[in-house]
Amino acid sequence: MFYRESGDFKATYNKDQQIFTIALDRWFVILFVAFAFLVVPFLINDYWEKSVLVPVLVWSIAALGLNILVGYCGQLSLGTGGFMAVGAYASYKLTTAFPELNMFIVVLLSGGITAFVGILFGLPSLRIKGFYLAVATLASQFFLVWLFNKVPWFYNYSASGMIIAPERFVFGIAITGPNAPPWATYLFCLTIVVVFALIAKNLTRGRIGRSWMAIRDMDIAAEIIGVSPLYAKLSAFAVSSFYIGVAGALFFSVYLGAAEPTEAFGIDKSFLVLFMIIIGGLGTIFGSFIGAAFMTLMPVLFKNIMVGGLGWPTDLVAHLILILIGGLIMFFLIVEPHGLAQLWRIAKEKLRLWPFPH
Amino acid sequence: MGHQPNINDMLLEVKNISLSFGGVKVLSDISFDIKRNEIRAIIGPNGAGKSSMLNIINGFYHPQQGEIWFNGHKRVSEKPFKIARQGIARTFQNIALFKGMSTLDNLMTGRITKMNTNIFWQALWKGPAEREEIQHRERVEQIIDFLKIQSIRKTPVGRLPYGMQKRVELGRALAAEAKLLLLDEPMAGMNLEEKQDMCRFILDVNDEFDTTIALIEHDMGVVMDLSDRVVVLDYGRKLADGTPDEVRNNQTVIDAYLGVVHD
Repeated sequence: MFYRESGDFKATYNKDQQIFTIALDRWFVILFVAFAFLVVPFLINDYWEKSVLVPVLVWSIAALGLNILVGYCGQLSLGTGGFMAVGAYASYKLTTAFPELNMFIVVLLSGGITAFVGILFGLPSLRIKGFYLAVATLASQFFLVWLFNKVPWFYNYSASGMIIAPERFVFGIAITGPNAPPWATYLFCLTIVVVFALIAKNLTRGRIGRSWMAIRDMDIAAEIIGVSPLYAKLSAFAVSSFYIGVAGALFFSVYLGAAEPTEAFGIDKSFLVLFMIIIGGLGTIFGSFIGAAFMTLMPVLFKNIMVGGLGWPTDLVAHLILILIGGLIMFFLIVEPHGLAQLWRIAKEKLRLWPFPH
Repeated sequence: MGHQPNINDMLLEVKNISLSFGGVKVLSDISFDIKRNEIRAIIGPNGAGKSSMLNIINGFYHPQQGEIWFNGHKRVSEKPFKIARQGIARTFQNIALFKGMSTLDNLMTGRITKMNTNIFWQALWKGPAEREEIQHRERVEQIIDFLKIQSIRKTPVGRLPYGMQKRVELGRALAAEAKLLLLDEPMAGMNLEEKQDMCRFILDVNDEFDTTIALIEHDMGVVMDLSDRVVVLDYGRKLADGTPDEVRNNQTVIDAYLGVVHD
């Protein structure tokens, strides 16, 4: 009754091609982003920053990146953890080598370096597809983590082999290090997420996005109608790795503060991000967010209910959470194999007709 | 440049093409030509090598022997996407639409050879990328109107019925505004009404857009009515070549289709 498009006529192609075609959607998103920028920074505290908001934002970027590669271009990758490590180590080397560098630039450069590495490891995709490609990218995961463990130059020859983010600033405000205020790290991540989500949307709705989807849906037909598979696949790898590298840089320097490659960027991270986009919805921008939120917030929610609310022992709850999350993943995949974004889309379609569905 | 002045009205010539996969000879010594603005049918029994011929024309297969002249130039062996850029579009025997995308996006993908803003403008969207998008959208909308598929513009093509998918696929090929349009069984599996529509579209495309069409089709009624000239293949050999009437009365063709007692 309230949520509908009737009366909202599109008189130009420009209007018809905008991101949110329904006025209510558009206003809701604008208000939501305004709320996130203008209200949340005043309310945020350390707990909300560290366990809820920043992880969701960081994983959203990683999920966006992987979704571009897997969901839009159809190239299955299990190298996410390794590429995040590249971003993390790039940001570490950049922050330690150029202490004056603005963190925004550090993060972008880290993304750029990861994009280059991504292209390199994306080369096999020109020859192999599907599960075989997944195995090839798996090799990159293990190789990169091994590399960062074995070559001391990457961790500046520190005795522990760990990398620790030094305190770095944006416009005089600490973003990394223990003294960074919660609102600053949050706003830093939020800005990057909003900008990159917009860029992802722009890329996927234009020529490049269509060439990715064409390769995904039918690669031979795509090539015959004029899509260059080389360009489409490698650009998908580059953009995807760029995002994942940015996520890795933020994950290490803003969120963790200190990292050790095997622990922080292991194969479990690759699978975690893959689960996020499968649960959220392959080939949707919104799905990347909802999947990232689902996978990072569900454990927090269960923990708060069971430990905080019911007073159960922590170790028991930790195991219960694993079982519950696994069960929920299965439930949602059975209910809707195309992910939560598809459920949301169906709900919206129903809502458009409500309360008179016939 | 290899201009051949006396045959300027030929859009495509294939000369002495032979193709084999390992020991299997698919095509042997096939030559024929396609004039500008004609509808050229390629017919023959199953396994005759018709689709392989189309695959050679749009560069998906590379023949062991023979040469292809397109638009007055001898063509070097190139990747299919580069050949698409030279102006050859096609539809497929089994529908090869991009199932996850809407009708509109499928048609827009058909215009990919004509779009060229770089990835950074695309990321920004405002400016050149948006202008290009709208400019091509206008052209695509003309094709949507022409094919009367306005109502399914935003529908994912995977949800469309078969006949509609065939029509969208024709639309995607049309969107490329190619010089030569290859149609691989555009009417396979359609009912009479859908076939009539499709015939009308093919004739109109030929008339209104001045597109040269090469057509594979099993429905002889359709082939004989639509095409200007017909080439007949059987087991990788060329049996006959000529106007529909000549082909219809050719004894070897009749034998190949009806079967004769070998003695």
